[in-house]
Amino acid sequence: MSFTRRGVVTLAASALLLAGCGSGESEAPAASGSAAAAEEKVTVEWWHIQNIEPMAPVWDAMAKEYMAAHPNVTIKVTPLENEAFKAKMTTVAQSGESPDIYQTWGGGVLQQQADAGIAKDITADIAPWADTITPAAAAAYKLDGKTYGVPYDIGMVGFWYNKALFTKAGITAPPATWTEFIEDVKKLKAAGITPLSLAGKAKWPGHYYWAYLAMRVAGLDALKQAAASKSFENPDFITAGQKLKELSDLKPFQNGFLGANYDTPDGQAATMGNSKAAMELMGQWAPTVQKDTSKDLGEDLGFFPFPMVEGGKGSATDAFGGGGGFAVGADAPPAAVDFLKFILSPENHRKEIGTGAILPVIKGTEDAVSSRTGKMVAETLAQATDFQLYLDQAYPPAVGQQVNDSVAELIAGTKSPEEIVKAITETAQSE
Amino acid sequence: MTIVLFLLPAIVLFALLVLAPIALATYSSVFKWNGFGLFPTNFIGLDNFTRLLGDEIFLGDLSRGLVLIVFSVLIQLPLALAIALLLNQRMRGRAVYRLIFFMPYVLSEVITAVLFTMILSPERGLANELLGLIGLEELESTFLSEPSTVMYSLFIVMTWKYFGFHMILYLAGRQSIPNELLEAAQIDGATTWKVFRHVTLPLMGPTIRITIFLSVIGTIQLFDMVYVLTGGGPVHASETMGVTMYEFGFKRFQVGYASAISVVMFLLSLVFAIGYQRFVMRRDTEGAITNMRGKR
Amino acid sequence: MSLHARDKPAIQVIRPIALHTVVIVIGIFILLPILYGVLGGFKNNQQLSTNPIGLPSPWVPSNYTDVLGSGDFWLQVWNSSFIALATAFITVGVSALAAFVFARFAFRGREFLFTVFAAGLMFPFAVAILPLFILLRFFGILNNPLGVILPQAAFGLSLTIIILRQFFRSIPGEIEEAAILDGCTPFGFFWRILLPMAKPALATVSVLAIVGSWNNFFLPLVVFNDPGLWTLPVGVQQFQGQYSTDTAKVLAYVVLAMVPALAFYAVAERQLIGGLTTGSVKG
Repeated sequence: MSFTRRGVVTLAASALLLAGCGSGESEAPAASGSAAAAEEKVTVEWWHIQNIEPMAPVWDAMAKEYMAAHPNVTIKVTPLENEAFKAKMTTVAQSGESPDIYQTWGGGVLQQQADAGIAKDITADIAPWADTITPAAAAAYKLDGKTYGVPYDIGMVGFWYNKALFTKAGITAPPATWTEFIEDVKKLKAAGITPLSLAGKAKWPGHYYWAYLAMRVAGLDALKQAAASKSFENPDFITAGQKLKELSDLKPFQNGFLGANYDTPDGQAATMGNSKAAMELMGQWAPTVQKDTSKDLGEDLGFFPFPMVEGGKGSATDAFGGGGGFAVGADAPPAAVDFLKFILSPENHRKEIGTGAILPVIKGTEDAVSSRTGKMVAETLAQATDFQLYLDQAYPPAVGQQVNDSVAELIAGTKSPEEIVKAITETAQSE
Repeated sequence: MTIVLFLLPAIVLFALLVLAPIALATYSSVFKWNGFGLFPTNFIGLDNFTRLLGDEIFLGDLSRGLVLIVFSVLIQLPLALAIALLLNQRMRGRAVYRLIFFMPYVLSEVITAVLFTMILSPERGLANELLGLIGLEELESTFLSEPSTVMYSLFIVMTWKYFGFHMILYLAGRQSIPNELLEAAQIDGATTWKVFRHVTLPLMGPTIRITIFLSVIGTIQLFDMVYVLTGGGPVHASETMGVTMYEFGFKRFQVGYASAISVVMFLLSLVFAIGYQRFVMRRDTEGAITNMRGKR
Repeated sequence: MSLHARDKPAIQVIRPIALHTVVIVIGIFILLPILYGVLGGFKNNQQLSTNPIGLPSPWVPSNYTDVLGSGDFWLQVWNSSFIALATAFITVGVSALAAFVFARFAFRGREFLFTVFAAGLMFPFAVAILPLFILLRFFGILNNPLGVILPQAAFGLSLTIIILRQFFRSIPGEIEEAAILDGCTPFGFFWRILLPMAKPALATVSVLAIVGSWNNFFLPLVVFNDPGLWTLPVGVQQFQGQYSTDTAKVLAYVVLAMVPALAFYAVAERQLIGGLTTGSVKG
C-alpha cells in the first residue's frame, strides 16, 4: 500500500496536465462557491424536472428575467428527466452536497434530506410571503412545523373515463360508490370493453388504487398513524386490500397490463387515448399524456373522484395526490429563496398555469386555469375536505416503495391482502 | 524494474478509481445507512447479510441468475461463435455484414428496451403479428408481460443485444490462427466439420474460455438491460441481483443493504473466477509463455 | 488463395450462395428491430400507438431533420466522441503495458495481482459510483470531461487486460527470443513487435472501450451539471418529460446517435482484417 500516497499525487498531477489540454470546450467552475463577499457575484444552481415543453422555456425565461434584474446573480439551470434527476440527486446527496434549488415532492424523502442537513429550513426566509400559498399545497413541505420547500404545482388523482364507452355499455352516470363501480366494471366487461387501463410495470399507478381504498375504508388519520407507529396491521387496511382483490379478480385490466409502461406507445395512457379501455386512475396530467402518446379524447374524456366505500371511515371528498415543489440546499445563497419568491409571484404563477401543465398553488390565481380538464381537477380539489400525499412520497422511501411493490403483487394475485399489510409493516419497522 | 514501470499506471488508476470506491462501498455493507452524509453511520455488523438470507426476492435472484448463466453459456456463446466463423468466410460484402451484426451491441440499452417492449407487446406487437402472418399463431405469446414467459423473452433480447460482444472477440481470436494451418488440413482432405472440430476449435480454446468467463461474470452483474426492459417484473419474475441492489440503493435509500448485495455479488463472482482460473484457464497459463526473466 | 483453385467447380458456385443466404436470414432477424426503430423515427407518436407495425403514413421526416438541425445534438456528438476516444486511448494504452507484463513475465504474486484487476468486473458499478463521486469531488474533476474519462478508463482496465493478456500470450515465444537476440529491450519488443502483431486484439478492445463509453449514461449524468458537457445518452432525456416521452423523437435521436459509434467500428474493422497478414509472421 506504499504506493497510495504517491499515486494520489501522480494522478492529481496528471489530472491537472490533462485538464490543461482537454478543456477547450468549457471551463466551468466546479460548484457554486456560496459567496463570502455577499454583494459580489452569486451563483444559484437550479435542478428542475420540467425539462420539456411547455414548462422548460417558461422556467428559462424567468431565470433570464431574474438575472437581468439582478446582475450579480447567475442562475445555472440543469433541466433533468424525472428518473435521471432522482438518480443524480441520490448520488450527489451522499457527498453532503446539494444544488441550491432542487425538485422535491415533499414527504418522506424531503424529511430524510432535512435530517441529513442537505435541505435548508426556510421557514423564516419565506415568512413574508408564505401565506400567499394555499395551505393544501404547502402541507407536504412542512415537516414538524418547519418549512423545507415551496410548491409550484398541486393536483389530485381520480378516474378519467371515456364517456362514449360508458354510454356503449349502458352506463348513464359515473359511479359514486364502490359497489356501483364494481357493477360498472362488470357492465363494461359484458359489453366487450376493457374497463381499466393500468401500467403494471411502473408500479406507482397501481398503488393509487390501494391508497384510495385505504383512505376510504380506514380514513386519512389511520394512514398517518400507521406511519408514525410503524404498523399497518389494521383490519381496515386488509379490507382495503380485499376490495382491490375483488376488483382484480374481475380481470378488468388490459391484456398484458403487468408488463405495460405508463407513457410508451402501447402504455396505459395510450390505451386510454386510443379508446381501448374505459377508465384510468391517474393524476391531473393524464389528458396531456393521452394526447402526447396517442389521441386527444376531447369532450369524450370525463373525470370523477374515487368512489366512496359503504361503511368506510373516510369521506368521498378526501383527495389524494401531490404536485411538485422546490427545496433549497443547505448552503444556498439568499438569492435562491428570493428567486423562488420571484417565480411564485402571482403574475409569474399565472404564466406557469397558462401552459396548462400546472395547477394553482398561489391564492387568487385559480381563474388562470384555462383547460376544461384542468378546471375539472381544480374544482374537485377546491372542494376537498382533506388531502393525502402519494404514499410513495409521504412515507420514508423504503416504505413507499414497499407499498408500490406489495400492491403490484396483490393486483397480480401473488400475494394476499393480509400478506401485503404484513410486508409493509416489516419494511416500516426495518427503517 | 520493467515490471514495476509497466504496471504502475494501471495500478495507480485502478487503485484510486476502482479499488478505493469498492472498498468504501464494502465498508458501508456493515451499516444500516440511508446514504446521506459522507460516511456510513449506525453500525450493525453482519445484520444486512443475515437479512439477505431471508429475503425471498434475493434468493429468487440467485436461481434466476443461474438460469441465465446456463442459457448464456449454452446458447448465446455457441451462436456468437457460429456467426463469427460464418462472417470470417471469404465473401463479398463481408465488412457490411459484420457491421450489421455488430449494430445491436452499439445500440443503447434504454432504446433496446423501448424497441423490444413495442415489438413484444401482446397487443399488436410486431412479433405476434409476424407469427400470425406465417401461420404460427400457437407461438404467439405474452412475452414480457407474464411471469411465465418473461425470462425466455428477456433471454432472447439479451442474446440479440450482447452476442456481438462475443462475436468480435471470436473474430479477433480467429485472426490469430494462421490460415496456413487450416489450409493444410483442408488439403489433407479433412471435411469442414473435421477442420472445425480438430483444428479451429482447439486453437480458439483460449478465446472461448475467456468468453465463458466474461459471460458468467457479466450475467452475475446483469442490471441495465433487465432494469430498463422489465424493471425486474412482472412481480419480480425477472429480477436479478443487480436490479434488487439498485432498488434498495437508489429507490429505498437503504444503501447499507444495497452494499451488502454488491458484496455478495462480488464474492460469488470471485469464487467463480478463482475456481475457473484454477481449473479451466490453467492450461492457458502453462506452456505458451516464455519467461523473459528466466531467460536471462 | 491457391487453395480455391483446387476446389470443385460446383462447390465454388453453390457455396457462396448458400453462405449469403444463411448470413442474410440471420441478418434479417438481427436487423429487424433496428429497422423498426428507424421506421418508428419517421412516425409521430400517434402513429406509433395506432399503427405500430405498418409503414409510416404519412412519413414524418421532421424527427430526423429536427435532431440533425439542432446544435445540441452536434455538441453532444462531439462530447461523446471526445470522451469515448480519450477513454479508449487511456484504457488500451495503460492496459497494454500491464497485459504485456502479465502475459510474458513471471514474478511472485502475478496471478494474485491479475485477479485483483479482474475483480473490477465483479463489483456493481452503481454501488461503487456513490463513493466514486466523493473521490471525483476531492480531485476537483466534477463537471469536467476527466471526471468521466478517468473512471471509465479505470473500470475498463479489467476487461481490457484480461483480453489483451490472452492475445499477447498467443504470440509464439520464438519471436520473442529472436527479438532479444537482435538486442531488443523488453520495451522495444513490446513496442515494435508485440503491438503491431496484436492489432486485431487492440482494435477489438478499442471498439469495446468506445462502445462502452458511448452508451454510458450513469457516470456522465452524475458528473456533469452543465448541459454543454452532456453526452448523447444524457442528452436523449430532452425528449422525456416527467409524465410523457416523445418516443418518436427518441427513436430518431438514437438511430442517429448510433451512426458515429458504428463509424468507429468500421474503422477498427479494417484493423481486424489487416491483422491477417502480420498474424502469419510465424511462417
